[in-house]
Amino acid sequence: MEANSTKPKRSFKRPFAFPKNCVYRPLRQISNMERNLKLPAERPTYFTLNAPPSLVPAKKYSDISGLPAPYADPHTKLRFANADEYASMQHMPSDIINGYLTVRGYTSAVG
Amino acid sequence: MVGKRILVIDNGSYECRVGWSDSKEPELRFRNVLTKPRKDRKKEASQQGSAEGSSAAAAVETPAEIQVGNDITNIEAVRAHLKSPFERNVITNWNHQEQIFDYIFTKMGFEGQERIDHPIVLTEALANPNFCRQQMSELLFECYGVPALSYGIDALYSWEHHQQKQKKIADALILSFGYSTTHVIPVLNGKLQLEHVRRLNVGGYHIITYLFRLMQMKYPVHLNAITISRMEKLVHEHCHIAVDYKEELVKWAQMDYYDEHIMKIQLPYNAVTATNALLTAEQKQEKRRELAHRLLEIKNRREREKLREDEQQLFVYNKLRQLYEQKKLDKFERALQQQQIGTLEDLDSLIATINLRIKRAHDRAQSAPRPSKQQEKLDKMPKPPEGVSQADWLAELHSKREQLLGRKQARQQQRSEMAKRHTHAAQERMRIISSLAKSEKRRKANGEEEDDGFGMNDNDWDVYKRINRYNDDSDSDADNEQLLEFEKILNHYDANFDDGNSNAQAQSAAENYQLHFGVEDIRVPEILFQPSMIGCSEAGLAELIAFVLKLFPAGEQQRLVDHVYLTGGCAQFRGLKERLTKELLEMRPFQSTFAIYESDEPTLSAWLGACMLAREPNFGKTLFTRQDHQEHGSEFFREHRASNLFYPTPKD
Repeated sequence: MEANSTKPKRSFKRPFAFPKNCVYRPLRQISNMERNLKLPAERPTYFTLNAPPSLVPAKKYSDISGLPAPYADPHTKLRFANADEYASMQHMPSDIINGYLTVRGYTSAVG
Repeated sequence: MVGKRILVIDNGSYECRVGWSDSKEPELRFRNVLTKPRKDRKKEASQQGSAEGSSAAAAVETPAEIQVGNDITNIEAVRAHLKSPFERNVITNWNHQEQIFDYIFTKMGFEGQERIDHPIVLTEALANPNFCRQQMSELLFECYGVPALSYGIDALYSWEHHQQKQKKIADALILSFGYSTTHVIPVLNGKLQLEHVRRLNVGGYHIITYLFRLMQMKYPVHLNAITISRMEKLVHEHCHIAVDYKEELVKWAQMDYYDEHIMKIQLPYNAVTATNALLTAEQKQEKRRELAHRLLEIKNRREREKLREDEQQLFVYNKLRQLYEQKKLDKFERALQQQQIGTLEDLDSLIATINLRIKRAHDRAQSAPRPSKQQEKLDKMPKPPEGVSQADWLAELHSKREQLLGRKQARQQQRSEMAKRHTHAAQERMRIISSLAKSEKRRKANGEEEDDGFGMNDNDWDVYKRINRYNDDSDSDADNEQLLEFEKILNHYDANFDDGNSNAQAQSAAENYQLHFGVEDIRVPEILFQPSMIGCSEAGLAELIAFVLKLFPAGEQQRLVDHVYLTGGCAQFRGLKERLTKELLEMRPFQSTFAIYESDEPTLSAWLGACMLAREPNFGKTLFTRQDHQEHGSEFFREHRASNLFYPTPKD
């Protein structure tokens, strides 16, 4: 065992290194690579197996309690189930309001 | 190859399980993560190591700079620095994967050997991209010198394990619930129908993170106490899937049900700091007084010492002076030099200053001790004006305070009404603004600077106060100040005055450190069925099953649903089978049959199934060697019952 090397060397390893551009490739890049191959349409790949978008209308739940929410506050865009929740929303700091909205995946049209 | 022990690695994105194919359970299980401690901590650790004189061998065995899996002692401390080789269920970071393999092989006792001289069975993602498989083969063959490899899919290995007890079943619909993905996998005639597999990109990771975010927002005060580890425990132990989500929610909306079923999670809570907060005002004052007394004593002692020193000095100087008066001049000169004093005048002035100092100190000691600050505060406290009894005065203050509070509330009301359109206040505001604008226009039309007289009267400016949406700056600041002043006085004179703030403190402090865990127990895992709850547009599990079934003709659909098999870590949620029964009942034709089977080892069955296959006599056929790898290209692998299908990348 070479003690002088900075990285602890393991006897079962051989000197090996991936080409620099192959060490880390995000999934998106791999997806692009496969798309560029112009595979036949019926060939299944990792990226064709994604679930289809939902066709059922999404149910609306209160952001705060998770209960079914018939109402939404036009001001904050939060959904709420009853008056108590609405009252508690009025004193909520904006970062929490935004947190609830992002958890739900809401993005405002303005951005 | 034959006769060599086979190493089986179930490389999951949550947990990695490693063991020999002939063992009953994996020798090594660890969270598939690694962390690189920050530089300063590394330095500290190495210093400590050298100080304690730890052996070099130990240092090699657990390299100080990178911690993997079970070597991470406190996972919460390094949560922000955790790295995983995975993106979703696919390995994308090969540096990290190499670290993981180093860890696996070191722990499995390969240290000292020249290469890993055992065939390896490794699980991979369903439809793993060729690029990823190529990298993996290269790493194992070139870096570790593995003689042969076999790849398989965890869900199919688990299915093999399940079939062991049942008779051979040719058709099944496998639902695999992973950490980052959920798969719906149809199998017909024992063959994987790869083109009809569908993957929902929601899994245990999303469930845990969802609960984490919800709890953090519900209890912003306990932001630091709400950790991923704790949320994981909650998900593992207390979450379940509602059979009828809507119905359960309706129940939770009722207060009685809530009170009966709410789970209160006690966070670690330090009683010591709490007692400090719980002290009554009187006790606090007592403590403060004690402290002040002690400080005063220290100061007095120091003054007395100084006084004694001065007195000694004075005694010496006086003696010198006597020498001079007795005309012993040469002795006097020598003594002056010794004391480093220049002339007789200097000596005289020194004696005078010391005398003065001593006198001042004596004066101070004799004078009465200064009135304490407490007393000063009391003096400053406003007293009832002359000729008015205290009771009347207090009553007046009370009514004034009520008035201020009322005004404050009215302002708040007004502000909230202003914020919305269509209220009277907002419309009034708009009316004033438009009338102001109109008068301006008239002036412009004249072409001349004709003064409309606005501002002649000071009250004119009040119009801005009325139309200002947040008009609580100047007025309310003064009001607030007055309010505080009143409350201070009332607090002082009126024993049973209650300003409404002290109520909260009366509650038990430990109760403030409780998390209420109610709807969350069904709300959080529900995202598997309704991904829209976390903003994911993909179809939920039930919809996805219906979608996959529709890809087959009716006869094959029936064959699939006759054996629905649940596996994977998230299949352990209570109520999952019941929920799926309900969903399948809804989507299948009236009076048709179906059956759901649960894996009896949801997390381990993939590894066990892989071992089973590795023990079969014709296992050798599923292996491909380093030579195959070089001959058939780096993405080559051999297909078998539980593997992906091999589609070579087309060459142009």
